Amino acid sequence: MRAPQHAPRTSSAVALYVIILVAFQVFLITVAVEAFLTDSETLAWSSAGVSVALAALSAGLFRYLRP
Amino acid sequence: MTEVEPTPVDLPTWKRDFPYQAAAEEDVTRREFARYLVAGAGVMAAGNVGLAIWTQMRTINTGEPRPIVPLADVAIGETHLFRYPTDSDPAILLRLDDTDVVAFSQKCTHLGCVVFYEAEEGRWHCPCHEGNFDARTGDVISGPPPRPLGRIDVEIRDSTIWALGATGGEEHE
Repeated sequence: MRAPQHAPRTSSAVALYVIILVAFQVFLITVAVEAFLTDSETLAWSSAGVSVALAALSAGLFRYLRP
Repeated sequence: MTEVEPTPVDLPTWKRDFPYQAAAEEDVTRREFARYLVAGAGVMAAGNVGLAIWTQMRTINTGEPRPIVPLADVAIGETHLFRYPTDSDPAILLRLDDTDVVAFSQKCTHLGCVVFYEAEEGRWHCPCHEGNFDARTGDVISGPPPRPLGRIDVEIRDSTIWALGATGGEEHE
């Protein structure tokens, strides 16, 4: 069966989303380091929570990428 | 185009009939690239959680109460350099009047240069990137520092200035 015509575009969009999420995670690492240096536990845990959520979202989006 | 090795049996017929491959065939596919990204995201998330745990578990040395300098040795409007809470932590105190003394970590909260007192302006000044802090509170007046100077609680006991403990660079009134 022929794949839908919009599939490659969807696949590219998903890959782009993953790239954006990973870029945001790089930023979150800098936030975590800043929290560490200032001994801000609240900020450190908030950053870790968001980072884990983004990683899960990335993994979820990965499932939609065509092999 | 490059010639390939003898063809394994599991290759498609057209590839056995036409045993050449373009360099692009060895490129990483979009899905493989995304897989690396997702793995990287997982590693960064784990690192972030690790940093949070480390932040939670470590203890900051805020120092023990100890005498710094006799009050008579510091004139009003003058400063005195000392080390607190450890010998590797430069600190500075300023005598404001007969009974008021303030003390701060001498490390600028921007990039760690040492600050000094500018009496004419009534402020702590960091010469590295022109950061300025309020002389009494240590709050940022101008420049790139993101936080106030680390405050050191001081007290006058029997005509001697004592340091009681460092309270870090949190916002304070």
